[in-house]
Order: sequence, then structure tokens, then C-alpha cells
Amino acid sequence: MKTFQMQCKVEIIRILRNRYFVFWSLVMPIIFYYIFTNLVNSDVPNKAEWQAHYLMSMTVFSVMGSSMMTLGIRMVQERSQGWSTFIRITPLSDSVYFAAQMIGQSVIHALSITIIFIAGAFINSVSLTPIEWVMSGLWILLGSLPFLAIGTLIGLMKKVETAAGISNVIYMVLAVSGGLWMPLEVMPKMMQTIGKWLPSYNFGNGAWEIVRGELPNWKNILILVAYLAVFMLLSKYIRRKQEVA
Amino acid sequence: MNEILSLNKVTKSFQYKTAVNDVSFSIGKGEVVAILGPNGAGKTTTISMILGLLQPSSGEVKLFNRQPNEKQVREKIGTMLQEVSVIPGLKVSEILELIRSYYQQPLAMKDLIDLTGLTEQDLKTRAEKLSGGQKRRLSFALALAGDPEFIIFDEPTVGMDITSRNRFWQTVHYLAEQGKTIIFSTHYLQEADDAADRILLFKDGAIVADGTPAQIKARISKQSVSFIVDPERPLEKLYQHEEIDDIYRKNNRVYVQATNTDRVLELIFQEKIGARDIQIERGKLEEAFEQLTSGTKEAI
Ligand SMILES: Nc1ncnc2c1ncn2[C@@H]1O[C@H](COP(=O)(O)OP(=O)(O)OP(=O)(O)O)[C@@H](O)[C@H]1O
Ligand SMILES: [Mg+2]
Repeated sequence: MKTFQMQCKVEIIRILRNRYFVFWSLVMPIIFYYIFTNLVNSDVPNKAEWQAHYLMSMTVFSVMGSSMMTLGIRMVQERSQGWSTFIRITPLSDSVYFAAQMIGQSVIHALSITIIFIAGAFINSVSLTPIEWVMSGLWILLGSLPFLAIGTLIGLMKKVETAAGISNVIYMVLAVSGGLWMPLEVMPKMMQTIGKWLPSYNFGNGAWEIVRGELPNWKNILILVAYLAVFMLLSKYIRRKQEVA
Repeated sequence: MNEILSLNKVTKSFQYKTAVNDVSFSIGKGEVVAILGPNGAGKTTTISMILGLLQPSSGEVKLFNRQPNEKQVREKIGTMLQEVSVIPGLKVSEILELIRSYYQQPLAMKDLIDLTGLTEQDLKTRAEKLSGGQKRRLSFALALAGDPEFIIFDEPTVGMDITSRNRFWQTVHYLAEQGKTIIFSTHYLQEADDAADRILLFKDGAIVADGTPAQIKARISKQSVSFIVDPERPLEKLYQHEEIDDIYRKNNRVYVQATNTDRVLELIFQEKIGARDIQIERGKLEEAFEQLTSGTKEAI
């Protein structure tokens, strides 16, 4: 238990000290939020709804990024710098280690969500009911699971540079084509059809529904669970192959 | 029986190379053993198998009479790997606390700092900002964090300055006195000679010598007696004895080479050649090392 707490604490400290995390997951989403709700698109029909919608988009964007990149790159770093090897000869068990990473990451996400929500409330006085705040926050926290699984996939790469490059591309493509930067409705028909099947769109849509006073679609949940299952299986399969080699 | 480690007919083959070939040895409690051998002799591979980081292709490794990767075993071992490992983003003191929390009975933080010579400054520094030698000191501390009974170091002093190196060996002596079992690999023969009470000499994946430093040195056939003598003095008389293999002068001294040095001493006095400052040249570990590992036969 002492080990577990210590490990969680350390994971959290490490993420907070990571400048890329602070920049990409906190500073950037808040700046984007300010720009896109105040400097451009300011003549939307229902302003309050757009501001709440876009706050969700940016929070989802932040959490999605840190799930994939922070976790993935950290895993590659630990392996390439020999730390994983060293850990293997200590009594720390794999499951405690893995659980601590996930918990640490989730605490960080809860923190990011809170900070970005507060920023939204300040910048545009977004006002949701307490239930809506909590529900959308929880949705974003839980919905990050498939992206954490993508993170563990990225974590299987050999080099930090490749992992950072590839995860960045995946991140941006998912964000744009999932409608996190601009709503899917303004995109070409083809993009919309594809976008609706992406994990990022379904992640975002759950939160958008909640701030519109609805519940997330069953379809959103099912698609996210399916992605989670696929990525986990894939990650397990690749890991097994790597161990044999 | 206080056998801590045993290797039984252990072989490790990689795709194109047999790195360790049918190696067997065992180590008892409290032994301090040096693993010597030229580059690529299979030292690191052997150590990796002892630690359970690599599985042998055949044969068996037992640590504390168990499989090396069992949790009970890991509680009792500590290691410094050849490739230094750091965790980025944490201060040295945080890393030490973290690793200590993995063990049921860790070494007290103060002891850890005293034994390894980590400074206040080191403790406050983030691991990725340490110099090479400071990283070594950190990994030394990590090896001791769990207060292990069995410690294994792979080339521990590479990159350490003289002070850190002395500090390191002082601590190793102290640990040996505490009854810890210690294995280390090194390329510095002096270290093996000073610190180990047993040497395993590896060559091409096999053990070519196993014994105390003195025993290994004694395996070199060439021993000699050296002395100073008046240059005018003829040494012909000595040449007449068959026991003597060779006589030569070097740095104002005369060297008489023979397998039996006691017999040479006898002859020197018998022939009354007026030798002064007589010394027996025991042979150096370097020479034994070179003799035993020369000839670059590739392991198959
Ligand atoms: N993962 C691997 N795949 C293929 N060959 C390997 C692997 N690891 C080691 N070898 C080979 O096995 C042999 C023994 O390597 P090892 O690292 O055990 O040597 P060593 O005695 O530790 O050498 P050094 O003094 O240079 O550290 C070398 O020829 C090396 O090329
Ligand atoms: Mg080596």
C-alpha cells in the first residue's frame, strides 16, 4: 500500500514537472478557447451554447492529448533509459506499477478538467448546472480510457523521437477530424461521415450532449468501449510479440 | 548449506552467437567474487541471467534456491547495471524514497547517504541533470536501497573519479564485513585483486579460471627472482643450472626466471654471487589475465 501511494505520488509529480504537459494540456487549450470563442466565430446564433460546447471541446482536446502523449512518451523514456529494466529486479509488481500509472494519470486529468472548466467560467462566464459540470467532468475522465490505451500502444515504440512524432500526428488528426477544433457540421460531407466513427468525435460528443442538457448517446459509449477493447488487445498482442523476439 | 547462488550448465545463445556456454559455478554466503574477462566474454549476459532479466537457453540459475525472478528473491538483491538507468523528472532524494518504498525492510535514508557519499547537492538535483559519475553514485545508492543480502555490480566504477572510487570500495569492504554476498565485474584488475576473495575469469562465454587472486597468479608459469649485483660480477655460474629458464637485466636489476623460485634463491647463495636487495616477482594479475585469455577463439 505504501508502495502504491508512493508510486502514484511520484507519477503525479513527474507529470506536473513536465513542461510539455503544462504547455499542451493546460496553456494551449485555454488560449485556443479564448481565441475561438472571443476573437473568431463571435457571431454564432446561440452564443452561450457555443461557449459551453467549445469549452467541452478544449477539455476533451487536453485530456485526449495527455492520455496519449504524456503516458506513451513516458513509457518509451523509461524503457530506453534503462529504468524499466532496473524496476524489473526490484520487488515492485507489474500490476501495482500499471495501476499507479493509470491512477496518477487520472488524478492529473481531474486536475486539468477542473482548471480548464474554471478558466471557461472566468473567460466567458459559462454557467452550467452543478449536475452538468460534474457529469461532463466524469464523462471526460472515463472517456479517456481508450486514449490511455492508445498511450500504452505508443509506449511500445523504441525511440522517444518516433513516439513523440507519431503521437503528435495522431493527436492532431484525431482532434481536427473529430470536430474538436471546429464542429463537424462545417466540414465536407465525407469528413463528417468518417469523423462520426472516430474515438475523438464520440469522446467529445458525449460531453457536448451533456452541456446541451441531454445524456450521452448509447452509440458514443459503445464505440468508445469497442475502441478500448481493440487497443488493449492490440497492445497486449504487440507486447507478447516483443517479448518473444 | 549456505549456498546463495548456483549456475548449473547455463548456456545463452543469441541468434548468431553463443554468449555464455555451459557455465557452472556456485557462490556461498559472504563471498566477494570478481568476474573478469575481455570485452564480449559474456559477463553482462551471465549477470543478466543471474538477475532474471534474461532466460538461459538451457541450464538453470538458482538464487537463494529459487528462481531469480520470484518476489522473495527480489526483496534480497540489489544491483548496479552496466548501463546506468535513471528516471527523468525526479530529484535524487525522491527516487531514493520511491525505491525504498518497494522493499519491506529498506536501508535507512541516512545510512544510504553515508554509505554512498551522495551530497546534499546531489540529493536536490534531478536525475537527468546529474553528471555521469554522480549517476553512478545514485545507482550505487539504488542498489543498496533495499538493504540487500546479495549484491551484484556490473562494472561499477566506470566513470567514477578517484575519490568516488575509493569511497565505493570502502563501502564494498564494509558490506563484505557485514556478511553480504557480493559479485562484481570489472576491467580493472587491481580492483579484483584488492577487493575480491575469488575471481571467475571468463573467456568466450566460458570460465577459464576460478580461484583466489593468488591461485590465479600462481597459474602463470613464469615467476622470477630479481636482485642487484655488481655489474662486473660474472653470472655464468647461474647459467649452468638447468632449473633456470632465463636470465636478463632490466633497470639495473638482474631477473632470473624459473618455475621454482625457492631453488633459485638457494643457487644464488650457493654460488656466492653477492646479490643484494633480493625480491621474488610473484607475477601480476595482468600477466595471468593476458595469458589465460589470449588467443581470440570465437565462441561457437
Ligand atoms: N541481446 C543480444 N543479442 C545478440 N548478441 C548479444 C546480445 N547481448 C550480448 N550479445 C553478445 O554476446 C556476447 C557477450 O556479451 P556480454 O555483454 O555478456 O559481454 P561482456 O563480457 O559483458 O563484455 P563487456 O566487457 O564489453 O561489457 C557479445 O559478443 C555480444 O555481442
Ligand atoms: Mg558487460
